[in-house]
Amino acid sequence: MTELAVLQAVRLKGRVTPADLATTLGEDLDGITATVEQLTESGLLIEGTTLRISPSGRARLETLLAEERKDVDSAAIAAAYHDFRAVNTDFKSLVTDWQLKGGPKGKPNAHDNAEYDAAVLARLDDVHSRVVPIIGAAATQLPRLNAYSSKLLVALGKVKNGETAWLARPLIDSYHTVWFELHEELISAVGLTREEAARSGDAQ
Amino acid sequence: MVLLNGDADLPRELLGNKGHGVDVMRRHNLPVPPAFCITTEVGLRYLADPKAAVDAIWDDVLDRMSWLEAETSHTFGRGPRPLLVSVRSGATLSMPGMMDTILNLGMNDAVEKALAAHGSAAFARDTRRRFTSMYQRIVGGESNPVPTDAHAQLRAGIEAVFASWNSPRAVAYRAHYGLDDRGGTAVVVQAMVFGNHNPNSGAGAFFSRNPITGANEPFGEWLPGGQGDDVVSGLVDVEPITALRDEQPAVYDELMDSARRLERLGCDMQEIEFTVEDGKLWLLQTRAAERSAQAAVRLALQLRHEGLIDDAETMRRVTPAHVETLLRPALQPETRLTAPLLAKGLPACPGVVSGKAYTDVDAALDAADQGEQVILVRDHTKPEDVLGMLAAQGIVTEVGGAASHAAVVSRELGRVAVVGCGQGVAASLAGKQITVDGYEGEVRDGNLPLSAWSETDTPELRELADVARRISPLRAHATGDHPRLDDTSEAAVRAAMDAGYADVASATPLIIMLTALRLAGQVGP
Repeated sequence: MTELAVLQAVRLKGRVTPADLATTLGEDLDGITATVEQLTESGLLIEGTTLRISPSGRARLETLLAEERKDVDSAAIAAAYHDFRAVNTDFKSLVTDWQLKGGPKGKPNAHDNAEYDAAVLARLDDVHSRVVPIIGAAATQLPRLNAYSSKLLVALGKVKNGETAWLARPLIDSYHTVWFELHEELISAVGLTREEAARSGDAQ
Repeated sequence: MVLLNGDADLPRELLGNKGHGVDVMRRHNLPVPPAFCITTEVGLRYLADPKAAVDAIWDDVLDRMSWLEAETSHTFGRGPRPLLVSVRSGATLSMPGMMDTILNLGMNDAVEKALAAHGSAAFARDTRRRFTSMYQRIVGGESNPVPTDAHAQLRAGIEAVFASWNSPRAVAYRAHYGLDDRGGTAVVVQAMVFGNHNPNSGAGAFFSRNPITGANEPFGEWLPGGQGDDVVSGLVDVEPITALRDEQPAVYDELMDSARRLERLGCDMQEIEFTVEDGKLWLLQTRAAERSAQAAVRLALQLRHEGLIDDAETMRRVTPAHVETLLRPALQPETRLTAPLLAKGLPACPGVVSGKAYTDVDAALDAADQGEQVILVRDHTKPEDVLGMLAAQGIVTEVGGAASHAAVVSRELGRVAVVGCGQGVAASLAGKQITVDGYEGEVRDGNLPLSAWSETDTPELRELADVARRISPLRAHATGDHPRLDDTSEAAVRAAMDAGYADVASATPLIIMLTALRLAGQVGP
């Protein structure tokens, strides 16, 4: 497991147990222990009841990300980000419709209408089939991003299997959790801060 | 096609709320600019076959325009004293802000020149600017020039307002509230009066009583030098309605007298739109206003005391749902309105919580670990903020809409959230004790307490229960030797009535009686 992948995962999770860290990285615990120990010893990660990134770890992560991006075709990343924005809007409106009936100002969805819920969830297939090629295009530049396709597919499978918590529940790698992190990756890959992205009207 | 000169006296279904209100006001000699109404029937025909529907009424429209010209001694589309009109939507359903309206219609170079000659160049220019931007926004085609022919403007304006019945936002609004899609809208064409005319002019919108607290005092807004759409836009800083009392006391008194008359005519609190032109009051619209549960109870009691409504009507004005709302702990409107408003955004997850504002996630987590009530305030949210959101009681963001990641996550976590409060809010709130209101989309100063009304202790509910006991087929009491009925469902209340009980004891006697009155058909649904 690379130093970059571990530091980035810890940063995106904020605070994370080693077991959850291994899961999100698609490894078993043994597969990450050596890297985590080494990062902790060098002070880049802070170990308590959970792992978190230290200020020096954050700086190291920035360096590694800059190196990773050194030779990418920025036009290709920008194009992927542009395509992502459109499907991002549709996905978030899908999740909002799942949570609320009647749009953003609507009432909480009590999930008492199976037909309504099924119609909302049916839209996830379209979102997924649109986002996968976008991730593929971005991953031609940053291969690490391919992992997001796999994680989205896992979440999609659980949702379609009736485990609807995997659509949007935080703190597990639900479809929205993975999506939110992917969004963060793309914003930073395209060279924006989230603040800049947010102020330019997306990333919200 | 109906002239709204006070004797139309046609049902609301045909005239729409706006047309009906204008006709009632004219009938009672209140100061209303002359207007005519193209009915909802035409609106429905328009939706089926737009061109044929407008062709069929066009001669009548021209005829009514001549009547407007005669009534106002102004001429449409030319000087020396040009007539401008508003073209307003008027559905039978109330859909605030969902339908289109065009003001200052009938404008071209010659008209602008004539307005400048009679008023001022600045007034003429401002009026033209308002017309052009509104016409382009609503009729469409920002690249298309606005026609110079006033009648072409009128026709396009009428068509656009009819068509706005099926605008995406109107369709979504009706779908959300489960309203009938088939009603269609009427169009009201009314002579313009100008709140932007000179310093003694302005526009306002107000409630004859406070619709939030139910206090018997006017509540609303006044904008010197503005037109009606400025007041409702939320983009301009408006003054409270009481500012008009200081600026133009005679106009204010006349407005309040009119409001009282309209209340008596409608037997209810009114929401009134008005314009003042050169110190002369004009009423544009009146309707029964939406209200909070608190206001519903207090207004029903006030109107009953004033003799405007009888006991049965009093019981119709307050629903079991109102009382149920009041019995739940909530931020009472009096508390809310007296606490300084620190930020306003979009409600993303409902509820009311208080705590100390933290802008740093780690600091928020540490404080929450110490048992502190924490509100996480961020300019924008990142994936790594999610744990901080979980530890917080509530979430406030500067940037982001109601479908933003922050909104999505807050709803999943069940954390009260207000999003999109604007830049700089995080810094201004940091370290303060604040209350986040996820119903109203507000952040207010301090730890505001929640409280609930009680059927036994709140005087308004006791008084209402006393009235209910006089007319309810099933009298419910807080105490006494009666069969108990604590289940407030319709089925349980109906069963008690079917069993022939006249008196029951209940923890919520008022809700029982309001339900019984509805079941017995003594008051409407």
